Amino acid sequence: MASIITPITSSLEAPKAVPKANHREGISTTRKPSRLRVQAMSPAKYKGTRMKEKHLKEMIEKKVTEAKEVCIGDDLSDECRVAWDEVEEVSEARAHLREKLEKYRDPLEPFCNDNPETDECHVSEDDVTDS
Amino acid sequence: MAVCTVHPTQSLNPTCSISKPSSFFGHSPRQLVFLASPACNSSTIPRGRDGVLRVTCSSGDTIVIGLAADSGCGKSTFMRRLTSVFGGAAEPPKGGNPDSNTLISDTTTVICLDDYHSLDRTGRKEKGVTALDPRANDFDLMYEQVKALKEGKAVDKPIYNHVTGLLDPPELIKPPKILVIEGLHPMFDPRVRELLDFSIYLDISNEVKFAWKIQRDMAERGHSLESIKASIEARKPDFDAYIDPQKQYADAVIEVLPTQLIPDDNEGKVLRVRLIMKEGVQYFKPVYLFDEGSTISWVPCGRKLTCSYPGIKFAYGPDSYFGHEVSVLEMDGQFDRLDELIYVESHLSNISTKFYGEITQQMLKHSDFPGSNNGTGLFQTIVGLKIRDLFEQITEAKAGASLQAAKA
Repeated sequence: MASIITPITSSLEAPKAVPKANHREGISTTRKPSRLRVQAMSPAKYKGTRMKEKHLKEMIEKKVTEAKEVCIGDDLSDECRVAWDEVEEVSEARAHLREKLEKYRDPLEPFCNDNPETDECHVSEDDVTDS
Repeated sequence: MAVCTVHPTQSLNPTCSISKPSSFFGHSPRQLVFLASPACNSSTIPRGRDGVLRVTCSSGDTIVIGLAADSGCGKSTFMRRLTSVFGGAAEPPKGGNPDSNTLISDTTTVICLDDYHSLDRTGRKEKGVTALDPRANDFDLMYEQVKALKEGKAVDKPIYNHVTGLLDPPELIKPPKILVIEGLHPMFDPRVRELLDFSIYLDISNEVKFAWKIQRDMAERGHSLESIKASIEARKPDFDAYIDPQKQYADAVIEVLPTQLIPDDNEGKVLRVRLIMKEGVQYFKPVYLFDEGSTISWVPCGRKLTCSYPGIKFAYGPDSYFGHEVSVLEMDGQFDRLDELIYVESHLSNISTKFYGEITQQMLKHSDFPGSNNGTGLFQTIVGLKIRDLFEQITEAKAGASLQAAKA
């Protein structure tokens, strides 16, 4: 996992520019506030999107377990087929979000550009723990 | 955007100008009023009794393409190749619901048919129906809105949120030049079928589907080979009953199969892809190899072209598909180098390119897309060019029709 840590140089002003993980100036020498940031595997920028990713990952696990249980006995029942269809739906949603992040941008970007102070637009990564 | 072109029968005298009203020609009556300057004498421009030039346009100029695929919406590479052929990249709408499934470019809007689910995830669970089941979808609304867009009217389309499994508040969709409806059921309802100017079905064989879903899901906690397999198997009855039969209606089917060049290949990396093209479709001339209507088997690798393992093999010929006459172009294997691609392109006919090497250029432009080195990328690009050709022919035909009406 690639990680780049940029030291916090100054204080409590609202960050104007958050240096990107692969930005050339690894160590900030100016007085521009920067953040301690660890770039994890997820390219999601905003908390709202990271929460969504976490939610989808958990859903996949949950739905697979549910499907296995429901299908014991009769794997042709409606309940069984619906359960596996749900697994497919969340797996696809997870893959789709991952792809959107890789190919376009964080889906919350237009909203967060206008509303950076909302909770879901929080940029720091240490608020979502990956269990 | 509705485009209604007027071609005067005689060349205009330079001081004679014709202008259109600047307001958007939406769902106003079918006649356009033109303002002609006084220098335009009545001998050059047909006028009505009140001296005003009128042109009758056919309703809307939106062409509608249907794409049936079981790969979720908007992520299909096909969409990106298609919109690229038209110019520009299709992106999720800026602002609005971040979970929107819609993609918009300058010319094209891609709508995900999951947005027409009548039942959300909870509703489907209660009724015991999968998303593949027609009972989970509102075909009346689908028909109504696709028809409206085709006629040049904007619609408030619902949003099905795949993350939450709920139906979100609608988003406004304006009529584009090209509307693509993508999803599980574009050709299911006969009324919607009638609205389609062209339709494509992506037919992925079970082995390839399995290989692709493994690539997609294996890294996810919770998934294993068994769960991936079980999910495909469980969806199969509904898929076979409701989705698969649509392929008989498609103008073009892209069939993706495992390669025949490598014995027992089960990685799904080398693919055999067949482009099945219906004969007799208006504005659509099937692609062919060497001699139209004959049967050809072609291995381009040899003295002029060296290919690396497993090479490339083409086939072409007429066939019958669900009772329709079709032409089938098939490619098995992979492109390794640029010169293989250009060599193959130079031997294909009726590819609707605007310049020599356009297919190669498009494939290179998106060399990071999946399928860029095999038949899936090649045939998707070709179908994209065919759709562009179709669009231009239809636009020209409509312009011709309105000219006739103006003369009358």
